[in-house]
Order: sequence, then structure tokens, then C-alpha cells
Amino acid sequence: MPFIAVVDDEESVRKALRRLLRAAGLEAESYASGQEFLAHAAEREPDCVVLDLHMPSMSGRQLLPQIRNLATRPPVVVITAHDTPDNKEECLAAGACAYLCKPLEDRLLLNAISAALRVNASGPKRL
Amino acid sequence: MPALIVALGYYLAARVGFAFTLQPHPISTLWPPNALLMAALLLSPPRSWWVLLVAALPAHLLAELQSGVPLAMVLGWYASNCSEALIGAGLVRWCIAAPVRLDSLRSAGLLLLLGGLAAPLASSFLDAGLVKLIGFGEGEYWTLVRMRFSANVLAEITIVPLVLAWADWRPAAVRAMPLARRVEVAALFLALLAVSLLAFDLPLFGANLAPALWYAPLPFLLWAAVRFGVLGTTTSLALLVVVTIWGAIHGMGPFTGGTPQDTARDLQFFLIAASLPLLLLAVALEERSRAEREAHEQRLQLTHLSRVAMLGEMSGGLAHELNQPLTAILSNAQAAEHLIANQTIDNNELREILRDIIAADQRAGEVIRRLRALFKRGETHLERLDANELVRETLTLAQGDLATRSIAPVLKLAPGALAIHGDRIQLEQVMLNLILNAAQAMAEHTAAERTLTVRSAGNGSWVYLSFADRGPGFAPEMVEKLFEPFYTTKPLGLGLGLSISRSIVRAHGGRLWGASHAAHGASFHIALPAVRAD
Repeated sequence: MPFIAVVDDEESVRKALRRLLRAAGLEAESYASGQEFLAHAAEREPDCVVLDLHMPSMSGRQLLPQIRNLATRPPVVVITAHDTPDNKEECLAAGACAYLCKPLEDRLLLNAISAALRVNASGPKRL
Repeated sequence: MPALIVALGYYLAARVGFAFTLQPHPISTLWPPNALLMAALLLSPPRSWWVLLVAALPAHLLAELQSGVPLAMVLGWYASNCSEALIGAGLVRWCIAAPVRLDSLRSAGLLLLLGGLAAPLASSFLDAGLVKLIGFGEGEYWTLVRMRFSANVLAEITIVPLVLAWADWRPAAVRAMPLARRVEVAALFLALLAVSLLAFDLPLFGANLAPALWYAPLPFLLWAAVRFGVLGTTTSLALLVVVTIWGAIHGMGPFTGGTPQDTARDLQFFLIAASLPLLLLAVALEERSRAEREAHEQRLQLTHLSRVAMLGEMSGGLAHELNQPLTAILSNAQAAEHLIANQTIDNNELREILRDIIAADQRAGEVIRRLRALFKRGETHLERLDANELVRETLTLAQGDLATRSIAPVLKLAPGALAIHGDRIQLEQVMLNLILNAAQAMAEHTAAERTLTVRSAGNGSWVYLSFADRGPGFAPEMVEKLFEPFYTTKPLGLGLGLSISRSIVRAHGGRLWGASHAAHGASFHIALPAVRAD
């Protein structure tokens, strides 16, 4: 079962997304900050990361390259409650495989995760 | 209808004029019909003036022919009366655009000068000339001019402003009047009536003693001018005029003992000298009060506009703040759908999902409620507030904007409540302005460097709030310039935020100032008077 990490500083969103992903049959865990995620990623790297863009102290934009530098190079689905055209281009250029705006339709989110997992399965791994 | 009112008013005014005549040689102290006619002309468009003048003729004939005056003289007086009203109304309307109102010193000055002095003077020459031409009576020409002039000046300067002031009055004004003000009106007029009766209508004081009493009504007339404007003053003066003349024609009060001519002259000069400055004072006070009201209204509008502009700047952050609970609601509901479809849901989990949906919905509702309050334009509403709670509420609103800028505010609030007295919306506006300025000042920094620290403290007399950022700060010499209207360092800023914030804080009896800390950003500080705990 694929393991999905949700990184979002907003507790209610974090909890709801974790609940949604688990209900959809995925293994999901959530983290309140980039630092917390990185600490846990050292033990077990996720198969996909659902990453909030706007977080204090370490933004999603800052965390994105660090996730892409993890050994398994997990794919990242960026989510945001504050959409701007620049954000989308920057995130995709920085390696995000999808960029979704909140509130999230479950179908769109699950499709994006599914597509990300497929692409990652066929892509190169960092050794 | 206006013609009928004028005819009736003219007739009654003529009867009053006859009643206010000193005997045994009939000397008129006050001749109100001309003033009433002038006031009617001033309130009507010039195209209908002829109707009003014609309407006054039967009233004039009815009133004058009863007194046994020859028809030629009666018609002559009609001509001089009409000429006075026409000259006065014509000159005033030539100088003042309609509608003629006592709403400025200029209008009042022109009305009193042209309608109150020039018109009676010009028509008195005509009137005395007609009297001599027709051969009615035995008075000297210049004596007739002087006597008619002073009786008409008194009428013009007391009755025309009275009619103009009451023409604007509406019964709704009384219904809207608070009880305390109604009581004050009653107290003023009762006191003025009592003092005027005592001074001018009682045979208690001889003519030699009485001049000191002339000033007795003055405090009450000043009371009327200061508290009740032009309407209160003109009405008070009318009361004084009636009571004073009534006393004189009945041989009471200070204006007794001389010839009827001397009595009329003294009486008229006293009443004219009292009326002119008080009327002008009332107009000046009302004009100033209106200007202050307008300035206050404009300040409120500007404050509101600035607040709306600030909320516009925050739109991205506010969308973020609403999208978060909406995301929680949607994802929770869709999670429940998946669980139901999989038949893996239990009641406890369903209950927990519903609880989370309700909480997220309430949070979104609270954001909307606060936004509506901030968008609303209203009068200042002072209430007892807790400064710490106000900071937290404001940060809730700013949270979206701060989140989109990856700023987590650091709160260092004094323990317990810090009671202040103020307008919640206006103080939230000040804090939002300082928070947004701080957030924008740190735009070039990395997320880790963006720190907004909000502190609160109290010493019993004052409550202090400070908002410190880690932005580039500003040069020390710019510290006061930042508070100047239309000064801005933002490309799209109006430059009104800090200026309006400072005026809001000052209106609360407090201070707002800024400080720059080299390489450590800027801080802005608010000091507000503390409310002592009950």
C-alpha cells in the first residue's frame, strides 16, 4: 500500500486530508511542518508527498527541493489555499508533479497522487 | 395655499402691530406685516411674488380700514409695505442663491444688512413722503422716517430670521429629540419667560433702577444661542420682544416714564442691540458646528475607505483564511463518502467527522462575521475591551495574509486582561495596518527570517502594544514622515494607513509611534489609556 505524507501547518486540513486518503485506501501520515516531515522522512521515506505551499518558518516552496533530494525522490503534489500564477510555475519548475488549489476535490487529489506514483515508479532513483 | 397663508399672516401681523402701539399718541413699536411679507417672498420663487403681494392687499385693507384711516393713505402704506418686502427680498436673493437660509455668517450678515436695514430705510423715505403728500397726521418728515425705520428694523431682524428658521423645522425633529433635550428646551423657555416678565412686565422696579435688569435675559439668550442654534435664538428673541413691548405699552418695566416717542426709541434700540449680536453668534456657532460635523463625517468616511482598501490588499490572505476551513469541510465530507461506500464507517468515526465539519464551518463563519464588521461603515462605538483579546482577534483575521507570506507571529502578551475603552473595529483597523506593514516589510527575507513579534504590557495607567518586524527598518529621520498623509514607501500604497491609524489612536486618547532598530527591523508602538479593573 503506497505511503502518502501530508505536510500542512493547518491542523484541521491536515487531519481531514489524512482521513480522506486513508478512506480511499492509502496509507497516510501527516506532519505540521517541514522540519517535522524531514525528521520522520529520515526513518521512512514516503511514496508521495502532499505539500502545502504556505507554512511558517519553512515554506512549501523551500521544502520542495529538499524532498526531491531525498533518496527515493518522492513525487510532490503541491496544494495551496492562496493560488497565484507565479506559484504554479515555480512549483512545477522546482519538480512538483501537480499543483492543486484548495478546497480539494477528492477525485482530483487522488488522480494526482495516482499519476505521481505511476510516474515515480518508472523514473530514476537516486542511489 | 401660500397666498392664503400670507393673507392670513399679514392680517394677524397687522393686528399685532396695532396692539403693540404706544398710547396716547399712537406710536408703533413693532410693525410685523412687512417682515412677514419679506420672509414669504424669500421662501418663494420670484415668479410667484406678485401673487403673494396681491394676496396681502385684502388683508391690508381689512386691517387698516378698521382704524378709520383714509383709503388713499391705506393704499399708500400698502405700496410702502410692499416696496420694503420687495427691496429686501430682491436684494437678498440677488446676493444669496436660493434657498435663503441662515446657515452661514455671510448669509445672515447680508440678510440683516439688506433685508433688516437697507429695505426699511429705503421704504421709510417713501412711506414718510406718502404720508406728507396725502397730508395724513402732523408728524415731521424726518421724525416719520426715523419712527417707521426703527419699528420696521426691529420687525425685520426678529421676524424674518424667525420665519426662515421655522420654515426648515419638521415635527420629526421633536420626535427624534431625546427626553433630556426636551426638558432643557422647556427649562430654557420657562426661565427666559420668567426672567423677562420679572424684568420688563412688573411694576416692581422704577425706571431709574431698571437698566441693570436689561441684562437679566442675556444668560438665557446665550444659552439658546449655544445650545439651540438659530431656531432657539430667534424664538427666544421673539419671546423677549413680545414680553418687553407688552410691558412698555402697559406702563411697566424699565421703558416707562418718557414720551411715547422716547419709549419706543429706547425699547427698539435695546431690542435691536440685543438681537443682532445674538443672532450672528447663533449663526456662527451653528456654522462651526456644521463644519465640525462635516469634518467628522469625512474623517469617518476616510477611515472606512482606508479600511476597505486595506481589506482589498488582504484579499489573497482572506481567501486563504476561508479556503482552509472549506478544505477541511470538503475533505472530511468526501472521506465520509468513501467510508460509507466501503462500508467501513462506524458511528464514532462519523460523529468525529461531523464534529470537525461543524468546527471548520464555524471558523469560516467567524471569518465572514469579522469581515462584515470591518467592511461596515458606522459611527464610533466605544466599549470596554481587552487589548490582549483584541490582538488575538486581529491576528485571526491577519492569519491568512501572514500564512501566505510564511510568517508565524510570535505573541508575548501580558498575562490576564488589559482593559481599555475603545472602538473595536477602529482599533482592529490600526492593528491590522501595523501587522500588514510589518509583513510587507519582510517580503524580501526568507521564511525563517520573517518574524513578527506582538507584545502587550500594562502599568495600570497605560496599556502598551507593540508590533516588531525583522524588515529593513527605516532611517531615523523618516520616523515622523511615515505618519504624514499620502506618504508611502509601497508602490501601490495610498499612504493613508499610518496617518489614519495615528488619528484613530489619538481619538482614543492614546499615542502611536514608530522606532527603527538598525539591522533589526522596525517596531510600532501603541499606548492607550488603561481602564481600571472594577
